[in-house]
Amino acid sequence: MKLRGIGVGSMMYGLGYGFARPDFSTTDIELAPDGTVTIWNGASELGQGLQTLLCQLVAEELGIPYEDTFIITADTGRTPDAGPVSASRSTYVQGNSALKACRDLKKPMAELAGELLKTDPDQLIFKKGLVQDQNEPSRSISFTNLAGGMHQRGRRVRGSGYHSITTGDVDKETSQGDAYATYAWASQLAEVEVDTETGQVTVLRLASATDAGKAINPKMVEGQIEGGAVQGLGFALMEDMKIEQGEFKNAKLSTYLIPTAADVPMVEPLIVEVYDPTGPYGAKGVAEPATIPTAPTIFNAIANALGQRVRFTPATPEKMLKLLGKLEEKEEQITIEDMPYPEP
Amino acid sequence: MDENNLIKMELTVNGEAVSMIVKGGRRLLDFLRDDLHLTGTKEGCGEGECGSCTVHLDGQSVLACLTPMERAIGCSVLTIEGVGSPTNLHPVQAALLDEGGVQCGMCTPGMVMSALDLLERNPDPTIEEIIEGISGNLCRCTGYKKIIYGIQQAAQELQAASPAGTVKESVE
Repeated sequence: MKLRGIGVGSMMYGLGYGFARPDFSTTDIELAPDGTVTIWNGASELGQGLQTLLCQLVAEELGIPYEDTFIITADTGRTPDAGPVSASRSTYVQGNSALKACRDLKKPMAELAGELLKTDPDQLIFKKGLVQDQNEPSRSISFTNLAGGMHQRGRRVRGSGYHSITTGDVDKETSQGDAYATYAWASQLAEVEVDTETGQVTVLRLASATDAGKAINPKMVEGQIEGGAVQGLGFALMEDMKIEQGEFKNAKLSTYLIPTAADVPMVEPLIVEVYDPTGPYGAKGVAEPATIPTAPTIFNAIANALGQRVRFTPATPEKMLKLLGKLEEKEEQITIEDMPYPEP
Repeated sequence: MDENNLIKMELTVNGEAVSMIVKGGRRLLDFLRDDLHLTGTKEGCGEGECGSCTVHLDGQSVLACLTPMERAIGCSVLTIEGVGSPTNLHPVQAALLDEGGVQCGMCTPGMVMSALDLLERNPDPTIEEIIEGISGNLCRCTGYKKIIYGIQQAAQELQAASPAGTVKESVE
């Protein structure tokens, strides 16, 4: 018999390290005579789109085309420390440090532009390739010409931005206090089909709504949401990490199964944008928030289908049949206390 | 075969004749990456599970990690380096980029080779057929959706460009 069910799962996630742990990033930026800029940041591009994101933020902040930005990341000889790529912090922390680097570079640029345009540097805005007096738009100079002028006069053409979201801490007794710099929210909705003969759980549909603060690059955010949900699906239904005495017993793709294209539904991403005043242009991380709710969502859908709760991961066909009482438990569940202590 | 197990590899790789004497008894993957320095073909698992080392051998898609290099002697091998170039992407590559089907890039070369193999056999695949066509290629980043839509978009473009043409023509 095939039974269907629908489930919802939600989560709240503290971005970054929190609990007073060091959480900072530095970005350097350099202006070339031709008006292009190079960004240095120590974080790693793992495919999540950090390089694209930092270039977009810098281009926006300086009012120049995206094509005029270049980036060097994770080169320990040249890039300043940006902290690790983890805890869904890259957009939030490294993005903010990139914006601060731009603002640092804009100071000497505005000074020179003020001299050339005979205007107050504080009134200058950087927009659409121009540095312009916001009260008198006729007073303007192109970003490229200003860049050349900066080099001709030997002005400071490097900027640096440091951003820290290191929090205070929580009270050891009550756990109340300054835990994380900001929080992300996400909800998912799944429809599953459970085959009670084979124990197979199939996720028919999966929708994932993730709070991105502000989606700097919506297509990349969708990629994070879709990929995150599929990883979460693997955690819920397939990925069985077998550890014996601290050793992985199935550290191979032939024994540790992850979802293939045939195992997953077309995840329906929903980007929720609730402006975060502490993020770069209101943005925050979406990586882990997009992964965390998937397993509870699927398990709620299974419970809805069977009227029985799954309290283990992954819900493989074998374990599901045991849950349904169609397969006898062959071996006793070994608890931590029963585990033999390894000989030294 | 002499004591050093040297063999003569004579074959065609990406349309160019190759003839070299190298250590034998290795995988086609090692020959491509270590001897020819064609590092676009990736080694993911090395045990035929992930598909990231997919190449074409005489027009058939094979896993270079499971193919003995000697098997390629006298054959024609197509790797990702023979499919488009950074300035002149193949429609499948362009569509994957356009759709957002590339994140870390580790699976991408194998994914493109599997897609080309699929479109060669079936120029107008359904979504289900695309899913089946790439189900041997693992991707940990994207969730597959953008890859599937990318391949669909490329199929439509290739169909529109030359309804009677084949994917092979588009590669050469």
